[in-house]
Amino acid sequence: MTTTAIEIHDLTVSYREKPVLWDIDATIPEGSLCAIVGPNGAGKSTLLSAILGTIHPSSGWLKIFDQPLEQSQELIGFVPQRESVDWDFPVDVLDVVLMGTYSKLGWFRRPGKVQREWAMECLDQVGMADLKRRQVGELSGGQQQRVFIARALAQDARLILMDEPFAGVDAATEEAIRQVLLDLKNKGRTVVLVHHDLQTIEHFFDHVMLLNLRLVAAGPTAEIFTRENLLRTYGGRLTLLDEAAEAVRRIRTGRSRLGKDR
Amino acid sequence: MISPNTLVILLGTTALGTCCGLVGALMLLRRRALLADAIAHSTLPGICIAFLIGGSRSLPVLGIGALLSALLAASLVSWLPRVTRIRKDAATACVLGIMFGAGIALVGIIQRSGMSGSAAGLDGLLLGRTAGMLRSEAWLFGISAVVMSLIIVALRKELLVSCFDPRFGLSSKIPARSIDLLQTSLLAATIVIALPAVGVVLTAALVIIPAAAARFWTDRFDGLLRTSALLGAASGIVGTLISSLHTNLPAGPVIVLSATTFFVISLLLAPGRGWISRFLQKRSRLQNRQLRRFLDGILSSELGGSTEVDRQRLLRASTAQNRRVLSNSIRGGWVQADPHRIQLTPVGRQRAVRARKALQIWREWLTSEASIDRDLIDLDEQDIEKILPPDLIETLQKSIDERGTS
Repeated sequence: MTTTAIEIHDLTVSYREKPVLWDIDATIPEGSLCAIVGPNGAGKSTLLSAILGTIHPSSGWLKIFDQPLEQSQELIGFVPQRESVDWDFPVDVLDVVLMGTYSKLGWFRRPGKVQREWAMECLDQVGMADLKRRQVGELSGGQQQRVFIARALAQDARLILMDEPFAGVDAATEEAIRQVLLDLKNKGRTVVLVHHDLQTIEHFFDHVMLLNLRLVAAGPTAEIFTRENLLRTYGGRLTLLDEAAEAVRRIRTGRSRLGKDR
Repeated sequence: MISPNTLVILLGTTALGTCCGLVGALMLLRRRALLADAIAHSTLPGICIAFLIGGSRSLPVLGIGALLSALLAASLVSWLPRVTRIRKDAATACVLGIMFGAGIALVGIIQRSGMSGSAAGLDGLLLGRTAGMLRSEAWLFGISAVVMSLIIVALRKELLVSCFDPRFGLSSKIPARSIDLLQTSLLAATIVIALPAVGVVLTAALVIIPAAAARFWTDRFDGLLRTSALLGAASGIVGTLISSLHTNLPAGPVIVLSATTFFVISLLLAPGRGWISRFLQKRSRLQNRQLRRFLDGILSSELGGSTEVDRQRLLRASTAQNRRVLSNSIRGGWVQADPHRIQLTPVGRQRAVRARKALQIWREWLTSEASIDRDLIDLDEQDIEKILPPDLIETLQKSIDERGTS
């Protein structure tokens, strides 16, 4: 029997009395690669924050590995949106990745040799070991994203949340992230990510959550990821999206993209 | 000749500057520079009320008043944006204005109430006065500086993560709230102990300016903290010495002016980020670009079959700019020239080929793989080779070659 990584029950989250997530019920089994999909402003990032526990729901509850969120000591790996931090911050690549080891160190203890070696291993997994001493502002956008991924790897968590890791990255980074996701899946880790590229979902993710303020549908991709459900998620806008996606697909034909050659 | 009294004051202001520099660096990184200003100004009503209640102007009494109203101001600033639609910057400005206004009004009341003799002491708090610093006060500053440094060293990783990415800190079970509270308390404490020396109006300047100056010198977290503390201490020393030489000068403003001098020096002279260095970088970049284009032009005609280029034709085709580039490149050993002809030297050819290749790869990367990042367009070949990893360059080269042969 598979265990449940995340169980969401009756979850409502509001900002200033206005609900941004409404009545969400879903379960995500352990070991799955789950994409959260929905139009802009659908509450995707808010859902991640609720799972992380950084915002409090106005009603409903969440369980992480069968433990209520508030009592759970489970460490959750997290890759925030790239734009959420100031990249001019005076810190180098290795120091950012080392942040992933902080929670296991506890108060006052500094990362030592063991942590540095582990962080280097994680950096190596995303192909960034050579750049460990670079100030983070001197990296390209894709490289910055990979630093964040390496930091989440350094957390070594059973559950990892990623907020649009594929947004605006170059192909090398996309490939690196894809490889990392497959590795994590093979290790039985659960990864939940906000994703935008509808084209790649079917081939790559085994679970989807279709979200637009309310939960439209959630479950195994094969059952849930249907045109009907997508229409209900995106409303009339899907036709436009269809055309755009089709156009993009035609342009990209012949090039190896995410999920295509799995 | 430095009197023992000056020595005490020196110790005090040095310690003070160190505290201010350390806390300032943290505030700068959290983008809360304005909070320092708000808190400093907000101490005034607390001081006045403490004076009215306590009836004395001893430092501990006034200090407690200042600390309480500083903490009140800090909590107002963080609370207002959460319960109203006022944004953080507006809340900070509001609190600053209201509290300082109340403070000034209270100072007026105290002065008119006939306690004017003692109220003179309160005036001193507005602009600061180091001359009367007691030995015990200097020790207090010194101990505060040591304690503060120890706290920051011990909590380095917690502070770092909550400054850089507080949401990530929360996700890895680092209590951002407590760290936040700690930072604000450190700020309030620093401001309160700095008040008697630097004064309500200028304390914030001493907190922020050394940190802002330090940012020019370093790209590392520890480096910033260290440099900022050092610059703060140096400002304290220099300011105290200058004001002790001229009895008419109040110490507070002189200390802040010293810090400002360090800031201006950093702004101009710091390697890498300073203005002069930036200007030189920009100029050498421009010259490099001109040189590259020039060498590339000659390379093109060489590849076109001719081994040399007609000097007159080349110079006619353009302006004075090319003359300068030509003489530069002769001096640099990139080309050989006689009165009629120009020819690439082996090194020059190598450089031109490398530049051309890099540019091709760059173009390929931008058009095919990358999301266009405006900062990254228009770079030199060194940058391109630095930014792209070698394996990616290889792949790109392959795809260029494939297109060339097909």
